[in-house]
Amino acid sequence: MNINISDLKDYAHKLMFDMNDLEYETLLKEFDVVLKQMDIISKFDNIDKIEPMVLPFPIEVKLRSDDLIEVLTREDVLKNAKEIENDQVKVPRVV
Amino acid sequence: MRYDNLSVLELRKLLDNKEITIEDLFNNSRELAIKLNGDYNNFVTILDKLEHSSNKNSLLNGIPYALKDNFSTKDILTTASSNILKDYIPVYNSTVYQKLIDAGCVLVGKTTLDELAMGGTGTTCHTGVVRNIWDKKRMVGGSSSGSANAVASGIVPFALGSDTGDSVRKPASYVGVVGFKPTYGRISRYGLFAFASSLDHVGIFARNVKDVAIVTDVLKGKDTNDMTSLEDDNINYLDNLDNEIKGRKLFYIKEVINVKTNNKETDEIIKNFKENIDKLRELGFIIEEVSIDKKLLEAVYPTYNIISCAEATSNNANLTGILYGPRSDKDNINDMIFDARTKGFSELIKRRFVIGSYVLQKENQEKLFLNACRVRRIIVDKINDLFKKYDGYILPACGTVAPLLEDASDKLTEEYLILENHLQIGNFGGFPSITIPCGYVNNMPISINLTGRAKEDSLVLNMAYHISNKLGNHDIIARRDNDV
Repeated sequence: MNINISDLKDYAHKLMFDMNDLEYETLLKEFDVVLKQMDIISKFDNIDKIEPMVLPFPIEVKLRSDDLIEVLTREDVLKNAKEIENDQVKVPRVV
Repeated sequence: MRYDNLSVLELRKLLDNKEITIEDLFNNSRELAIKLNGDYNNFVTILDKLEHSSNKNSLLNGIPYALKDNFSTKDILTTASSNILKDYIPVYNSTVYQKLIDAGCVLVGKTTLDELAMGGTGTTCHTGVVRNIWDKKRMVGGSSSGSANAVASGIVPFALGSDTGDSVRKPASYVGVVGFKPTYGRISRYGLFAFASSLDHVGIFARNVKDVAIVTDVLKGKDTNDMTSLEDDNINYLDNLDNEIKGRKLFYIKEVINVKTNNKETDEIIKNFKENIDKLRELGFIIEEVSIDKKLLEAVYPTYNIISCAEATSNNANLTGILYGPRSDKDNINDMIFDARTKGFSELIKRRFVIGSYVLQKENQEKLFLNACRVRRIIVDKINDLFKKYDGYILPACGTVAPLLEDASDKLTEEYLILENHLQIGNFGGFPSITIPCGYVNNMPISINLTGRAKEDSLVLNMAYHISNKLGNHDIIARRDNDV
């Protein structure tokens, strides 16, 4: 698959950031290598018959009951936000 | 008196005999940390004052340590060495930090890492490059760069890092200390900033295997805040270090050892490895050569790259500059987030995110992301199959000594040598895996790596203890360019 800078910009913008022209050019060159490497993983026989592995080994996940255990104070929640108004994080008007 | 070359148990004895105080130890560590930070950039934060909750039942009571700056520490700056978190003050403690507080440990500082733990060089930290404590011209490796240096330089007897591909075990090799990544879930990840959740592990640096066991004994166990954490195995690793290992079976992978190279350093490392195999046989280990399809080994790095970059894009979606981080002055919320992320992430991180974005595109998910997860299973199944016959495998931790900084590059090259990437297998399968210093090439430390069956951490540490004792090179403090 051929990839161009316009594609790379699209992928970056979907993740909500941008890069400068030089960085995109560097990344485009890297994609030559990345794509060749990625080709390797598709060349295993009957790979589509194998179940994808999403954890190192089966882990029995027990969801805890939905009890209130610990609550952050309002002060803590707001501690790192740069703009606060009326005890809430301020963001630009959206509607 | 110098304390910087002493082990946890030696410090324990001095403290118990009242030959030193906890304040002495903290001040000694702090002063050395400050003295070295200008040249080596090991710490993002060095604490001003001692914080200590005494626990007289703990071997670690009063022992100083360092924590990678991607573990949440309430009211202590935690940056993940990224500009997007450069002012972030956590509002809760990671489980490992809380356990070390409860054990009476004394935090000296938060150590520098490759930004968001996504790098292997120590050159992408927002505070600058971390230089190798053995040679300033060389990289320390990453991403747990500062933690590795802090232990190798004698600032602290142990430090914590995180290991998603090799981020504890490879820098440990580059600075000549022990680096251990236990079984996936053995230690809670709660409060560790996630990079790739299915591969992330908490890891430990120390200058000997015994200290690693002591710290792991404190940190392990089930945590209701981490649903992937394992029930405690109720084994005291320290008490079982000296168990008999005669007759234990190990293998090494022929294709890794026979990798073609023009690098004389690599030849030396392989030669050293083969000599060490003979020494370990003298201990009673049965060590055999095993062949694994080279195609499978060559698939390790691309598999890692796809899975880790994909998981990272998702895990870091919370970094918006709204609730925390530098806030943009744009006048709508989308532009604010876009601007904060554009300015807050460095080039390397963005490149990795774009790779993650690419493999997760609808049209690529099946061919790339899901196939990578399938290859992961093939690799893990192969190793688990070998583990039916063998107790573990042993290999050189990496194929070179710490590279010169001028050679450092996180850009991907076509030379994805299998010798440089086999440690990632330990993350795929969640296998306990430990790097053990074993000698020197070009006056720089080299190491071997031992990896064992998932959930058999005690056996891996037991075997590593005997191996380390046989090979020597434990409890080493780095020679520094300008000794202090």
